[in-house]
Amino acid sequence: MYEVRFHGRGGQGAVMAAQTLAEAAVNEGNYAVAFPFFGAERRGAPVLAFTRIDSKKIFSKTQVYNPDCVVVLDDSLLDTIDVVSGLKPEGIAVINSKEKPEDIDLGKTINTATVDAVSIALEILKAPITNTAILGAFAKATGIIKIESLEESIKRKFGEKLGEKTGEKNALAARTAYEKTVMGKSRGIKKLEARKQWLPTYQEMPVGGSLIESKTDAGLIGPGSFIENKVSGWATYRPLRDREKCVMCLLCWFYCPEGTIHRISNKGDLMTNYDYCKGCGVCANECPVDAIKMVRARA
Amino acid sequence: MKKVITGDHAVAIGAKLCRVEVVPAYPITPQTLIIEHIADFINDGELDAKFLTMESEHSVMSAAAAASAAGARVFTATSSQGLAFMHEMLYATAPFRLPVVMPDASRTLAGPPGIWCEYNDSMGARDSGWLQLYVEDNQEALDMVIQSFRIAEDKRVLLPVMPCLDGFVLTHTVEPVDVPEQEKVDSFLPSYKPDIILDPARPAMIGAFMPAEYIMELRRQTAGAVESSKEVIQEINGKFAKEFGRDYGGLIDTYRMDDADIALITMGTVTSTSREVVDELRQKGEKAGLIKLRFFRPFPSEELRKAVAQVSALGVFDRSVSYHGGGQVYNEVRSALFGMTIPVINHLAGLGGRDVTKEQIMKMFELTRKAAKGEKVNQINWHGTRGETV
Ligand code: SF4
Ligand code: SF4
Repeated sequence: MYEVRFHGRGGQGAVMAAQTLAEAAVNEGNYAVAFPFFGAERRGAPVLAFTRIDSKKIFSKTQVYNPDCVVVLDDSLLDTIDVVSGLKPEGIAVINSKEKPEDIDLGKTINTATVDAVSIALEILKAPITNTAILGAFAKATGIIKIESLEESIKRKFGEKLGEKTGEKNALAARTAYEKTVMGKSRGIKKLEARKQWLPTYQEMPVGGSLIESKTDAGLIGPGSFIENKVSGWATYRPLRDREKCVMCLLCWFYCPEGTIHRISNKGDLMTNYDYCKGCGVCANECPVDAIKMVRARA
Repeated sequence: MKKVITGDHAVAIGAKLCRVEVVPAYPITPQTLIIEHIADFINDGELDAKFLTMESEHSVMSAAAAASAAGARVFTATSSQGLAFMHEMLYATAPFRLPVVMPDASRTLAGPPGIWCEYNDSMGARDSGWLQLYVEDNQEALDMVIQSFRIAEDKRVLLPVMPCLDGFVLTHTVEPVDVPEQEKVDSFLPSYKPDIILDPARPAMIGAFMPAEYIMELRRQTAGAVESSKEVIQEINGKFAKEFGRDYGGLIDTYRMDDADIALITMGTVTSTSREVVDELRQKGEKAGLIKLRFFRPFPSEELRKAVAQVSALGVFDRSVSYHGGGQVYNEVRSALFGMTIPVINHLAGLGGRDVTKEQIMKMFELTRKAAKGEKVNQINWHGTRGETV
């Protein structure tokens, strides 16, 4: 059995990638399953997806803890999550990154493949949706699936949902990534400490789970603890407001799902706190006078 | 002071004596009198509480949970369809440990539509985390509202409590009730002081979304609270008996069980009638006894095992059916007695509000006696049902 764990963020299509891989594997005559694991469903939040491939029916319904391959759709995750945790020694990491494998520090030296899926996606799809490109890199790096089978599944699956043209473009993104994938070994310098999480026993759990703000070994809990949850790392884009154009209708302030836009004076002047802006673009979409432009957040 | 009042009136007086602070309500037969009496108390200046007329029972329980989370002592009452309608919100109050007290005027849950006594309304809520008890007369109805708040607000428990009183058989029946003095209730029931409440001055999260990493611990905690309520119920029963001179036995009560050879387990008003039946049987020389199941949640498994240790057969009365066969009490009892070899048979009667007669109760004992002798009897017996051969 071959097991893959996808790391992405809500909205990046990790689940769709896992499903497409499963479908391609089935079309090659195998048995495959794919399933997601969501945290609090929220655009930009880390998500996991899993694919299992075998020559016979798969019964296991648990999550994948010792994958043969991890696929990382967003390299900003490398800073906060040990993406290679549990990876088999002979396993491989496939990472969406501009860097060469040798320049990526995964905390251990392992087989690594990289591809600049964001640039490929922006060029071909005109959107930073990297799930199809990364599948191309997966095919190249692992040899578990033929790129032709993937192209076929992508065309069908994405074509069905988004139209034939989009399906073909996505297949092209996969093929392009397949050709541009760089293979090598990661660096193993940084010490990866498991991120501390507040995990009380049932006796330690506050009565009824009710919380006031308090400090634990794993940081703040309770109301106000979200101050520690900076989401700026998620953003591919960032909103820029043109003060000249803005008519102070406050729609962006009202609609921002992160409550990131603040009124800083009685005249209604606005400020975006980029620490908590996840770059979703809702504000730009709602602005009636197109005063907000979304620009690339990271080079 | 003795008053001749209905069960609903007794319950309302109980709430008043507890100085409840918020009462969100929606009327439903046969609970309506409770709510009307409370409204009168507030109107007449006898009770200083916020009365909220809600647009549905779902909203009633939402408001009750919210008010409780804000630190108020919350009371409401419901029945049947109303209880069903608030079902979703019942599941919020218990794990979030909000000690709301809500009597249920037991009534058949449609279909078919009906307004008379049956326990299929409250039985559907048995896994919501609410503590559930069933009373026998109007005095117990009043007294148990007072005890319920004390149990619910105990720091070892902090769970909502649902005292159930038989629709019409108690709710609309007048009998003498000794109304306790306010000062006595005040000293028995201190005011409610939760550790964490919803207060803008000290922000708190109550009832927040929880990922899989936390819910099992919360479930385990709630299960533990239900378990520890047993001790608290027993303790508070003792304290109440000392203060007010009425001892209800706690989780269960027994009647003439000392040398009993056969026994019947009952809940609610059928217990009352059965006391007289037991006396009649005793006069005939039959060693019959009675176990009154007072609390259905928590379920007093240990207490029952002890109570039936000497009997040679046991009958279990149910006023509702779990459609796979017997009633809910029967199945809980059998589970509690697992490993014991006493024959246990089920007696279903009084569903939909059908009167449970002495003859039927006599028959229950008769069949239980047969089982004790090792004669062949049905496991599940429907009493007073046309077409049945019991
Ligand atoms: S992009 Fe706009 S709407 Fe989205 S989080 Fe940032 S400020 Fe809020
Ligand atoms: S929605 Fe546009 S116009 Fe309205 S306040 Fe925001 S930036 Fe200004």
